Amino acid sequence: MTSTALVPEPLPSWRRYFGFSTDAKVIGIQYIVVAFFFFLIAGLLAMIIRGELLTPASDLVDRTVYNGLYTMHGTIMLFLFTFPVLNGLNNLLIPPMIGAPDMAFPRLNAVAFWMVPVFGFLLIASFFVPSGPATSGWWSYPPVSLQNPLGQLINGEFLWVLAVALSGISSILGAVNFVTTILRMRAPGMGFFRMPVFCWTALAAQTLQLIGLPALTGGAVMLLMDLTLGTSFYRPEGGGDPVLYQHFFWFYSHPAVYVIILPVFGIFSELFPVYSRKPLFGYVYVAVASFIIVGLGLVVWVHHIFPSVAQWMRNLFMVTTMLIAVPTGVKVFAWLGTMWRGKIKLTTPMLFCIGGLINFVFAGITGVMLATVPVDIHVSNTYFVVGHFHYVIYGAAVMGIFAAIYHWFPKFTGRMPYEGLGKLHFVLTFLGANLNFLPMHPLGLMGMPRRVSSYDPEFAFWNVLASLGAFLLGVSIIPFLLNMISSWVRGPRANHNPWNAIGLEWLLPSPPPEDNFGDHVPTVISRPYGYGKDEPLVEHQAEIERALTLAEATR
Amino acid sequence: MSSSSPLRRPGSFSLIALALWIGLMVAISIWMAGQAQHWLPVQASNAAPLVDGLFRFETGVGSFVFLGVVSVVAWTLLVHRAEKYDESDAEPIEGNTRLEVIWTVIPLVLVMAIAWYAIQVNTKLGVLGPMEHIHPRNAQEELGGYLGDRLPAEQVEVIARQWSWEFRYPGRNVSSTELHLELDRPVTFRLVSEDVLHGFYIPAFRLKQDVIPGRAINFNLTPTRVGRFRLRDSQFSGTWFAANQADVVVESADDHASWLKQGAAAPLQSGLSPAVGEYADRQARGPAGWPTVVPAPPPQVNVPGSNSLPHDA
Amino acid sequence: MTTTPMPPANPPAAHGSGHHASHNLTGFIIFLCSESVIFLAFFSGYAILRRSALNWLPPGVEGLEWRMPLINTIVLVSSSLTMVAAEHFKAKEKLWLFRAFWLLTMAMGAYFLYGQAVEWGGLNFGLTSGTFGATFYLLTGFHGLHVATGVLLMGLMLGKSFLPGNYNGGEEGVKATSLFWHFVDVIWIILFVLLYVWRN
Repeated sequence: MTSTALVPEPLPSWRRYFGFSTDAKVIGIQYIVVAFFFFLIAGLLAMIIRGELLTPASDLVDRTVYNGLYTMHGTIMLFLFTFPVLNGLNNLLIPPMIGAPDMAFPRLNAVAFWMVPVFGFLLIASFFVPSGPATSGWWSYPPVSLQNPLGQLINGEFLWVLAVALSGISSILGAVNFVTTILRMRAPGMGFFRMPVFCWTALAAQTLQLIGLPALTGGAVMLLMDLTLGTSFYRPEGGGDPVLYQHFFWFYSHPAVYVIILPVFGIFSELFPVYSRKPLFGYVYVAVASFIIVGLGLVVWVHHIFPSVAQWMRNLFMVTTMLIAVPTGVKVFAWLGTMWRGKIKLTTPMLFCIGGLINFVFAGITGVMLATVPVDIHVSNTYFVVGHFHYVIYGAAVMGIFAAIYHWFPKFTGRMPYEGLGKLHFVLTFLGANLNFLPMHPLGLMGMPRRVSSYDPEFAFWNVLASLGAFLLGVSIIPFLLNMISSWVRGPRANHNPWNAIGLEWLLPSPPPEDNFGDHVPTVISRPYGYGKDEPLVEHQAEIERALTLAEATR
Repeated sequence: MSSSSPLRRPGSFSLIALALWIGLMVAISIWMAGQAQHWLPVQASNAAPLVDGLFRFETGVGSFVFLGVVSVVAWTLLVHRAEKYDESDAEPIEGNTRLEVIWTVIPLVLVMAIAWYAIQVNTKLGVLGPMEHIHPRNAQEELGGYLGDRLPAEQVEVIARQWSWEFRYPGRNVSSTELHLELDRPVTFRLVSEDVLHGFYIPAFRLKQDVIPGRAINFNLTPTRVGRFRLRDSQFSGTWFAANQADVVVESADDHASWLKQGAAAPLQSGLSPAVGEYADRQARGPAGWPTVVPAPPPQVNVPGSNSLPHDA
Repeated sequence: MTTTPMPPANPPAAHGSGHHASHNLTGFIIFLCSESVIFLAFFSGYAILRRSALNWLPPGVEGLEWRMPLINTIVLVSSSLTMVAAEHFKAKEKLWLFRAFWLLTMAMGAYFLYGQAVEWGGLNFGLTSGTFGATFYLLTGFHGLHVATGVLLMGLMLGKSFLPGNYNGGEEGVKATSLFWHFVDVIWIILFVLLYVWRN
């Protein structure tokens, strides 16, 4: 069977990205761009928060404003940046990586995306209603979240719950799509143990979404009913139980952190081999560990609410939480093993991966500290926790996302990103993140609670350092934005495999045609990451490569 | 078809260098563990040494792990970098089953050991004061203290509100907004909330308990150091959450007895509640933010105390 | 390749040759599994609130009348059987018998909804009658919403059964709807036990 010449398309018009499209590659870019739009908004809120926290007194904004700021910072960062950007990466990467033309349900895919600007609008609109936005944290614990001083029906909390519910529906629709696609649309010859790790971790993460989100939705529906209809699911005076909400909330929101980090594990697992020129160490273990994390991830949620629950629950969930360190460690060691005796290339994506790995190990250590109940009783709800999760989210996950964007940018835009700006972005990010989030640990140990709009003077020193780090992080986004826009508009044209990487997506033109391989899906004949083995990944690989190179030469 | 790495036998020089490096990492980790104590407030309860010991241990172990990972990364960046124009691949090492087993089993043993240690500490903390005498609070229950089946500790009722802390000494007819405790004497708190969730957190004691409306929670501890410490609300409770702080004064038995005696004789007056003052200022200045829940009036107590004196932790 | 489109999944865009089978049923099953978790969340919320309540029943309420709901239950469970019969006839290509039993299933579903409405109308407690009222209406209401959706889906399938060539590409729509209906049934059985059978 000869492969047809996979002719590189002319670069698509920018107009495609503003309309309703069912092409996963367009939807993927739409998700990512919209996500970064909200990232900038939530980041701006963070700048104001850190501005307030430069001094002990509440002297920059009113306390109600501060509470709205920190609530919306967290809410927007999670529901309007992190989950959408990861869904964007899923859309871009999964179909080509498995040789599929698109997602299983393209129209559903588009619907799931277009819900994002809708609930994004609701959340931003909540700043402008008379009652102001939700101000009870991104957890929205009752009873405080049910206090509605103005008594109006359309209040910030109402919009918040609505937005979170819509986000949940959008995510569930996405999850159904991603899981079906991975289970049913892989290329011939691609059994599960020939599937790239990114698809393994995507499958794991989306399974968690399917199991966990409905619990959050259920809890949120009851919250909305309490808020709007006067029921008493969570109101003690009506016989309700505020802690019940906490269980519903965290039953989802703990797995949610694995939904965030698993794809990043996938990204690291994809990138370390490329930039070490070496196979992923222990591919099978890394793949299987993803699902061990899924299983354990569903039975640890109580560690978020140790101070609210009885003693027997604390010991049980401490043990389950500690166990998660093991499959996670297997992955970290696998990446180290991949780098060991490799031929390391310190490109921008690799720098972000290495920085992300180091930050992640640090976060893992503070995570083990938080898992042990006696220490957690002291530091829960303090800045120690804020430091921990920002290390994971910004220090590891966001860095992994940047790594992915730089790495796959050529494939999906057809242009190369500028290395110099990329490296600058990395340095500013790594320094900024560590300066911002490391001081939070001593603050928490000293007893500074989280979510405070003012603090005792002895906390000033570390807060000033943290704020400086935050401002540095704010600045760090500038080279990134410049790079993305400038490279996409006039960066050098990319060929089909600028990194000399092994994977189905690299056997497509840059950018790929709308239906990827179309009817000519190559048959996979070996395991992924075959660096140094001089074996083709697919049948007729040499011909495919020749055709691509020829088409590029005659461009 | 996977090739397992043929681990090259390192030379004796490398082994000695490695041993020295590991020794250095161990030394640094032990030093870090010692430093960890400085990051914590003074120890003012009998729970604190237990918690701190666990934290120091975790810091030591964590430092070693972190240094180990960073060492490996640094080594690969130093020694395993690709040559400038070398586009070729490295050795196709796909894995090593023995290594996988080692780095699964050792972390498993390690985390289970830490968990076991933590359970011991947790149990001891429980013996000092089980935090699980949670029972529903109904309207008929008198505000007067719940004796429970505990030691004859001092009984203090703690009422959390938006945004103040009120302390009542039921047998002694004293109420205050500054918590006074007797050195080395166990105390049983009865924690109640009049409105929303609050967090009863005293960093110097290393103890925290969420206060849940609709329930009365028994909470026990023993202060072990004289001084003035901060009590901070640790569970977000609304607009003036950050200002919902009170002072905890640990004093000798004599001082405590005389404080109680004087307090019982003092007339009721408005206790401390920074939120009330701030709210009044805010109203006077005109709207500066979004609508807020109105602060509860300051509790009427015998001894308002102070929350602006210097505190030890 | 024709597929029977049905909410909420969508048929894949035609990619020219369409040599890959439609994945609608897979997607729908995955969606159903996820949907069951929200019911699980409501069930566990109900159980926890009930177990920890000091006074579960609101003042003036003696308990739930169970006879009418039992009849409704029998009707609903039987409707699953009539649905199986309908599918059986469809497999034998006896389309008119299929439609007859399908319609019968719809009617039984509609009767269940009617019975639920009658029950609601006759109750002496409301949504805000403590956690008892809140959980009761939440559980039965959310389930009723699913019954209504099921009846609608069945109507859609019934209509489509008259289109010529409707089943050329498979009968995923019918399969999915029947799966949904059985799911709704099982949920009801659990609900019935939790609400009406469980005595303190």
